[in-house]
Amino acid sequence: MLESTILLPLMIGLLALFLPPRFGRVLLVATAGAHLLLTFMIWLGTPQPLFPDFFNKANPGMLVVLVTSFIFACAAPYAVFYMKEQKIRKERIFLGCMLLFLGTMSMAALAENLVVFWIAIEATTLASAPLIFVHRSKQALEATWKYVLICSVGIALALLGFFFITFSMEQAGLNQSLTFSTLNRIAPQLDKLWLKTGFIFVCIGFGTKMGLAPMHTWLPDAHSEAPSPASGLLSGALLNCAFLGIYKVHTIMALAGLGMFSSNLLISFGLFSILVAGIFILNQPDYKRMLAYSSIENMGIIALGVGIGGMGLFGAMLHLIHHSLLKTSLFLSAGNIMLAFGSKLISQCSHMPRLLPKTFGCFFVGCLGIAGLPPFGLFLSEVLILFGAFQQGRPVIAILFVLLLILVIAGFSRGALAMSFGQANDQATILIREQTSRVLPPLALLLASIMLCFWLPEPLRQTISDSIIILGGSIHG
Amino acid sequence: MSAGIEISLAIILLSVLFSLSSSRLMTLIKLMALQGALVSLLPVLLNSANKLPPGGIALFLIMLLIKAILIPALLYFALTRMAIRREVEPLIGYHASVVVGLGLILLATYLSRYLQYSAPGVLALMPITAITALGGGLFLMMSRTKALTQVIGYLMLDNGIYLMGTALIKRTHSHYLVELGVLLDLLVAVMIMGIILNNINRAFDDVDTLDLEQLKD
Repeated sequence: MLESTILLPLMIGLLALFLPPRFGRVLLVATAGAHLLLTFMIWLGTPQPLFPDFFNKANPGMLVVLVTSFIFACAAPYAVFYMKEQKIRKERIFLGCMLLFLGTMSMAALAENLVVFWIAIEATTLASAPLIFVHRSKQALEATWKYVLICSVGIALALLGFFFITFSMEQAGLNQSLTFSTLNRIAPQLDKLWLKTGFIFVCIGFGTKMGLAPMHTWLPDAHSEAPSPASGLLSGALLNCAFLGIYKVHTIMALAGLGMFSSNLLISFGLFSILVAGIFILNQPDYKRMLAYSSIENMGIIALGVGIGGMGLFGAMLHLIHHSLLKTSLFLSAGNIMLAFGSKLISQCSHMPRLLPKTFGCFFVGCLGIAGLPPFGLFLSEVLILFGAFQQGRPVIAILFVLLLILVIAGFSRGALAMSFGQANDQATILIREQTSRVLPPLALLLASIMLCFWLPEPLRQTISDSIIILGGSIHG
Repeated sequence: MSAGIEISLAIILLSVLFSLSSSRLMTLIKLMALQGALVSLLPVLLNSANKLPPGGIALFLIMLLIKAILIPALLYFALTRMAIRREVEPLIGYHASVVVGLGLILLATYLSRYLQYSAPGVLALMPITAITALGGGLFLMMSRTKALTQVIGYLMLDNGIYLMGTALIKRTHSHYLVELGVLLDLLVAVMIMGIILNNINRAFDDVDTLDLEQLKD
């Protein structure tokens, strides 16, 4: 059954909360593998949903669950080896919450009912809060507090948005079940005013969780204070789930004939996010915060691509996949760098090619990729979004997009180069040496992204096409 | 039964105003228990004409347990471990806060006129109370510095949203299991907030969020 991808990590996660860490570690890696296997089986079409009103195989959700599962399968073994080097109390809480986090994210990706989706998103916040809090420092405390409070308020507003959408259905005199597919079907009959109001609240609510500016304030803190495997999952998997909520309601809006309104809202949020990220990346002394701001930028690009539509939609979906793979890879490499230098400051990293050759390779290539240089996937998706913008008759937005991208690339490459080739400290030594076990996971993610640039498997391409066709998007525009 | 509903709504409105003027954290917790009980009771009162199915009764009891007993109890235990009893220096004073609260009621009355046009069947006081609680909660979170008060603001916001849902949506749409999930999320959220609260208290010897400003750009 489809629900096993949700139940398995949830059950084992609850179990791992109470077991000693040496069992928990094994369970974490084994469950990650099993989850990936189950996800592949869903893709092949075998398990069917047990409660089709609550969970279903909707297209963009399938994409998100695949990305999430793959990233988790790479981050889980890394987390085990990473945590060995760190002295933390209550490792079992960390291991259990990682699995609960996976379960709630799968639940969000596969949710079909509006309120079930909402429950899942709020649950991801709650499952990931202990992950940020692992180090128990004052900074971690502050980051967790901001994360839980800001995201909970945001998500509560999204619930209000869902209530308004339900109300728009009642206003139209319809009494149907509250599922995304039903709403897509009856979208043209929905009450326009309340649907619009609902979309605004959903956009602000899940936008908070997705890290769209100006609601992004929790994101850099949480991503920089969490241990690296958790940061990678927050950035690579969680943000996609929140995006899914906005995307699904945007689809309803488009089918109801309000596509212009929601597109413009998404484009504004998108451009503003890229701008804010660009400004804060420019003089960022902390490399984990730099990566976090880069996530805000990339989420902005995805929102922009969806808002533009047409070819931009394909670009946005491609961007989502590549950003997740590359950013998680970068966060895992950043974890190795942090273990080695014992600091999150860019200025403290020096002589990386000599001291940490393997990590350096992974990190540097990942930086080239995330900056959107050819031949990496993000270059392709950004070009698609750009073409889409011209094609949809929005040249001003295309030009703004290019200018903002230049700003981001300038800031990001400055930080990345300073880190990679910094020679500030000739006596630099490393605290913890790099290990193959901690280099392989980021390498696997990096290679997966590079592979997808040259060869997009047919089922994947088909799923992307199927999930954007409803909005009139296609690879050909 | 309409009188009972209106009285409950009026008490919720007053409790919002009262919480804006109160400096004692204990009073705030008691107010939240009262609000939680009334908010749980309202759907039952609204549906008193038809007989509640067993699922509805079970949900009402669970909701009452969570909103009126468990959550206030959690907050109470968090409070007993703290040295502070009062919100000493709010960012916006108590008298000014009450004025803001009254302004919120005016705004809510204005906004709910739109709702009256689209849905004449909705009881007038219902959206007014909902919007006031929502806005009051947000205001409490922004204008107070103690972390505990911010949790209470979040709860009030949540009550407001729940009231809005009760006002707008007929029961036929909701599924008891789904509503239970929403409640469970709320309970776990407050539990986690309570744990962080405890840790903030231990790390800083205070629960003032002004201490939490090391992370910024």
